[in-house]
Amino acid sequence: MSKIFGVALGILAAIGGFVDIGDLVFNVAAGATFGYQLLWVLPIGVLGIIVYSEMCGRVAAVSKKAVFDAVRERVGFSAGLSTLIASEVVNLMTLAAEVGGIAISLQLLCGLPYRWLIALGVLGLGLVIWVTSFEWIERIFGYGGLCLLVFAVGAVKLSPAWGKAAHGFIPHVSQNNSLLYLYFVVGLLGAAMTPYEVYFYSSGGVEEEWTPKDLGLNRANAIIGYALGGSLSVALMVTGAALFLNKGISPEHLGTIALGAQVPLGEVGLLFALVGILFAVGGAAIDTTFAGAYNLAQFCGWEWGRYRSAAKAPRFVLSWMALLLLALVIVMTGVDAVVLTEYAVLFSVVALPLTYVPILLVANDVAYMGDHRNGKLANVLGVAYLVVIAAVALSAIPLMILTNVGQN
Amino acid sequence: MSEIDIALKVLDHQIVDCDGRRCGKVDDLAIEGGAGETARVTAILAGPGYWPERAGWIGRLARAIGGGRRVRVPWEDVAGIEAHVLLRRTARDLGLGRGDDRARPWVEWIPGAHRK
Repeated sequence: MSKIFGVALGILAAIGGFVDIGDLVFNVAAGATFGYQLLWVLPIGVLGIIVYSEMCGRVAAVSKKAVFDAVRERVGFSAGLSTLIASEVVNLMTLAAEVGGIAISLQLLCGLPYRWLIALGVLGLGLVIWVTSFEWIERIFGYGGLCLLVFAVGAVKLSPAWGKAAHGFIPHVSQNNSLLYLYFVVGLLGAAMTPYEVYFYSSGGVEEEWTPKDLGLNRANAIIGYALGGSLSVALMVTGAALFLNKGISPEHLGTIALGAQVPLGEVGLLFALVGILFAVGGAAIDTTFAGAYNLAQFCGWEWGRYRSAAKAPRFVLSWMALLLLALVIVMTGVDAVVLTEYAVLFSVVALPLTYVPILLVANDVAYMGDHRNGKLANVLGVAYLVVIAAVALSAIPLMILTNVGQN
Repeated sequence: MSEIDIALKVLDHQIVDCDGRRCGKVDDLAIEGGAGETARVTAILAGPGYWPERAGWIGRLARAIGGGRRVRVPWEDVAGIEAHVLLRRTARDLGLGRGDDRARPWVEWIPGAHRK
């Protein structure tokens, strides 16, 4: 019984922890711009992250290798180093965007000056990482992020056009402004399949010393957690569509996104939305911080892990501290967190194939995986998603230029 | 499978010492044996000093950041090859993991640094 309870708690935390600043920005903006037309992209993105997270978790459980162990072993030093540099750049951009998001939500909650709150946010993240155990980080931010469910309640109260929403789940190409439509397709897929999630997930599996006995738990976490978490993305897009479409409002500020809960549910809705955004973005910032330090340590062969004392893994600790400081400097320059988010998501799309190809290779390698190597379903889905990832990776930068980063 | 095949399989793998400490990657291999002779792996080579030979200018840049340290671990000190390359001796004995040793004082002074 306690195991079922544990799984249930893990899933609750996964729902709250699924959404990050990329999902918030792209889902609401997609709803505000194209109504329900882009809902079909969300299940595709969520299935993609399920497929590759399950694969990474399985690789971690069976071969004891996290993503960047696999990357270096399978593609070699040179290509592995390029992948590391690309992933660290994207990771830092994402972290900076999340830190900006924390400061904005704190500002909306307490009204203090933005730059003070950036510093306070980074200090808070550092303290939480230093003092709190992995389990409690997951619980605090996962459960806090559940406040975002207020968007699901709000979406229902906004009485959306259910027929149109259901029709939105059927894939189609927009006749109007098709370049901008494609830009959002790429952005939504990128936001759902952000690479830091698999770096963090697989390293966590190695840290928790998963064995093949944990493969069921891995599958349940990946499928149920991400699928339910993805439903929050649906709620955000529906909110954007029901509230902002055809009203000339473009949610270019996190505060505008929070209006999605305030309009249907009043001040209580706004409070829940802001607290939910704070915890969701804070949790994502911690995942991103760890992901950056994990990748570097795994590539170089340093001691790493949150389950070791800081003194046992000092370069790993200095790495996450340096990443937090760099993010602080980037956000302090005054760069807009929402704009930074859009760039971070689009550049992460470009780096996606570099991460997912080695994982697919390792998951198919008998020497690593034995009887637990990919089955037919995992391979069909894995290859299909590689094609999707390659297509979005190739089109991300041209679409970014052609649409002026979604402004056209 | 020949010794060379086994050795090539461990290139870029994690090195773990006899205390279970992660202490570097197999950055290169020392292989001896002239034309017509049986090739033999004599050592695993670890450290940023070997990176330029692996990755050209980007490797040179990485070496400049990581320091040019080169460590040669005799093949006799390799205890086994499982998920990682396991050593018979400690990292300290073999001169591995020095970066972590140098970085430790920067972290150790913070209260709670020894708490898991």
